[in-house]
Amino acid sequence: MPSEHRLHPASILFALAGSLRAFALPALVLMVSSLRSSPAAGAGSGGPRWPGRWMNSWLPDSLDLENWQVWLLVFLIPATIAAVVRYLTFRVGYEGGELVIRSGLFFRNERHVPYGRIQNLDATRTLMHRLFGVAEVRIETGGGKEPEARISVLHMTAFEEMRRRVFESRAAAGVPDAPAPALATPDEDVVSRDAAQTLLHLPVRELLLLGVLENRGFLVIAAIYGAFWEMGLQSLFWEGLTSGLYAPGLLRGAGRQLANGQLPPLWQIGVLAGGLVGLVLLVRLLSMVWAVGRLYDFRLERLGNDLRTEYGLFTRVTATIPLGRIQSLTLRDSPLRRLLGRTSVSVETAGGASRPEDGPKRPRERLAPLIRASAVPALVAAVMPQADPATLDWQGVHPRAFRRAVKPHLLLTGLPSIGLLLFLGWRVLPLVVAVISLNVLVARQQVRHLAWAANDDVVALRGGWLWRSVTIAPVAKIQTVTAIESPFDRRAAMAGVRVDTAGGSELSHRVHIPYLSREIASALASRLSGQAARTAFRW
Amino acid sequence: MGPNPGDASSGTTPVLETSVNPSVTDSERSTIADGIDYPLDPRYVPLRQIHSAIATVVLAGVSLVATLSFWIASGRLWPGLVLVPMWLVLVGVSAWQLRRWPAIAYRHVSYRVDGLGIEIRRGVYWREVTSVPRSRVQHTDVSQGPLERRFGLGTLVIHTAGTANSEVTLSGLEHAVAGRIRDHLLPADRNDAV
Repeated sequence: MPSEHRLHPASILFALAGSLRAFALPALVLMVSSLRSSPAAGAGSGGPRWPGRWMNSWLPDSLDLENWQVWLLVFLIPATIAAVVRYLTFRVGYEGGELVIRSGLFFRNERHVPYGRIQNLDATRTLMHRLFGVAEVRIETGGGKEPEARISVLHMTAFEEMRRRVFESRAAAGVPDAPAPALATPDEDVVSRDAAQTLLHLPVRELLLLGVLENRGFLVIAAIYGAFWEMGLQSLFWEGLTSGLYAPGLLRGAGRQLANGQLPPLWQIGVLAGGLVGLVLLVRLLSMVWAVGRLYDFRLERLGNDLRTEYGLFTRVTATIPLGRIQSLTLRDSPLRRLLGRTSVSVETAGGASRPEDGPKRPRERLAPLIRASAVPALVAAVMPQADPATLDWQGVHPRAFRRAVKPHLLLTGLPSIGLLLFLGWRVLPLVVAVISLNVLVARQQVRHLAWAANDDVVALRGGWLWRSVTIAPVAKIQTVTAIESPFDRRAAMAGVRVDTAGGSELSHRVHIPYLSREIASALASRLSGQAARTAFRW
Repeated sequence: MGPNPGDASSGTTPVLETSVNPSVTDSERSTIADGIDYPLDPRYVPLRQIHSAIATVVLAGVSLVATLSFWIASGRLWPGLVLVPMWLVLVGVSAWQLRRWPAIAYRHVSYRVDGLGIEIRRGVYWREVTSVPRSRVQHTDVSQGPLERRFGLGTLVIHTAGTANSEVTLSGLEHAVAGRIRDHLLPADRNDAV
């Protein structure tokens, strides 16, 4: 049943808006910098302003490239033509078990993506998209760092049809997406598909709590500062902060007095402390606003063998993750979260690791940004049935691991401490002792909390003292296993095991088990690679 | 951590050690997947020594230019009396190290191919054993540079879907052996749903 969809006509508008936005920031920078430099340049009889003047010398007089309209046209005419051509030539079709994307006018491109290879099917809808009833669709397969296809923009009904076709025909074809190696029977799928099982829903109250816990307010401030910096206004920012905003020169004066070894007057300390508290509160407030705006009405549902997350107040994001495509699962804790009995759950998929609109790198798919600790086992059981963190047989690392782990800490704090003692004398001894003992304590606690577990289905690593993480990777998703032995390991007869899985970034918490006895490491590595070799990898 | 890499291998239980079996040469191997540890092709040592020689010449040249220009720019005699001997010593030591390193590294690399996949051991100080299961191999390359062609060697590159180990490289194989390993890792009747 061949069927085709075109892009929504609004795609021309969105493409134009996109190129305008790409053009807007440089233009703004240019305008601001020319404004700022014009008094100085004006004095010197209008020095050569690059690139306008330089370009003008190559062009007839009637065209003045210093006119911004000309620049706008130079940039926008090709963009418009490209957008219209794309709209006219882009076709999404469904043929057999494949998604077929045709594009191009002179160089025609036809891309076939089998349903079975699709990792994620995501839709992003900003306010504008929602106004037009369209969505930007992203299709991710295992290969590469980029989405296999970006369809901008598709009518919502077309997107719904795509989602239905992709996931239904996959279930009907019996593509084994079930985490268990057994083939998923079609009937079972169809039955469960009717009832979407809501695994998690976050009400506004939880989102506000999340905002407080996650402290993304600094992100907002950093973004604002970044914008200032790009426009070359960062000095203004600091000027305002240090002298202009509240009580002129207060911060500077207090700093000078502190440097002279005097205590500033009490009222100054009060004002400064108040400002600091206000800043912290403001940051938390911004963070709460961020959490509500970004994750409003967060919903995690299970539909047959797929997970679906949906969230956002203004920009509505819908992501579909086939259950069998989950490469690893991570639980994260912080002291505050533990105090409130909450934790967070994320999973790694093999689909494109970087998403331009979410920042350069988004390592994990967030399954549950915030969830009650008591609800975690049920969620894990629904997502990765073979891996229940409670039933795993956790094992500690080598008994002498602390002696091995504390040495780098001692080296890192000891050498600067000796320097401090030599230069500043015995006065700093309490400080040095405090820092060193804190480091020893951290090493001690980190080693004590390190634990690993491996059974026939999964391998897992638990780590961290205050900020704890648990990462679980199914054996069927292991790519390579490496036993690693550093010279320091060798002295202590230890070794480590690193399990490499698909997806995510190098920075995310992975199953890298350190400080094992050499025999255990070697046995674990060969056991895991043997197990992995005996299971077929299905992404 | 013995200062001499030769000593480093004489530790206790040889778990991450290379235990190569040099009695069987590559051409005598009836099947490639025999589960025996093999060293790399011995011709890999002179090849790497040529690389080392090139590196030495480049290093010496660049550092000589830097040293001389610093000396000339200083406009005095005594910096040269310090710098030129220093340059000589540094270049001499690094040339000596670069010359002997290929043979040391060679002793610490081995590989084993069996029915389940390939296991590569390497590293003089930081040792690692990487196993790539056959079922995880996405695709493989066998490449040969101009120098490698002269020596009859090849480089095997195994691509997996992983992150840190998305590319596992094994240089210094006889070209024909690299091709045989590739054929073993990617059988024609492979039939999985990746």
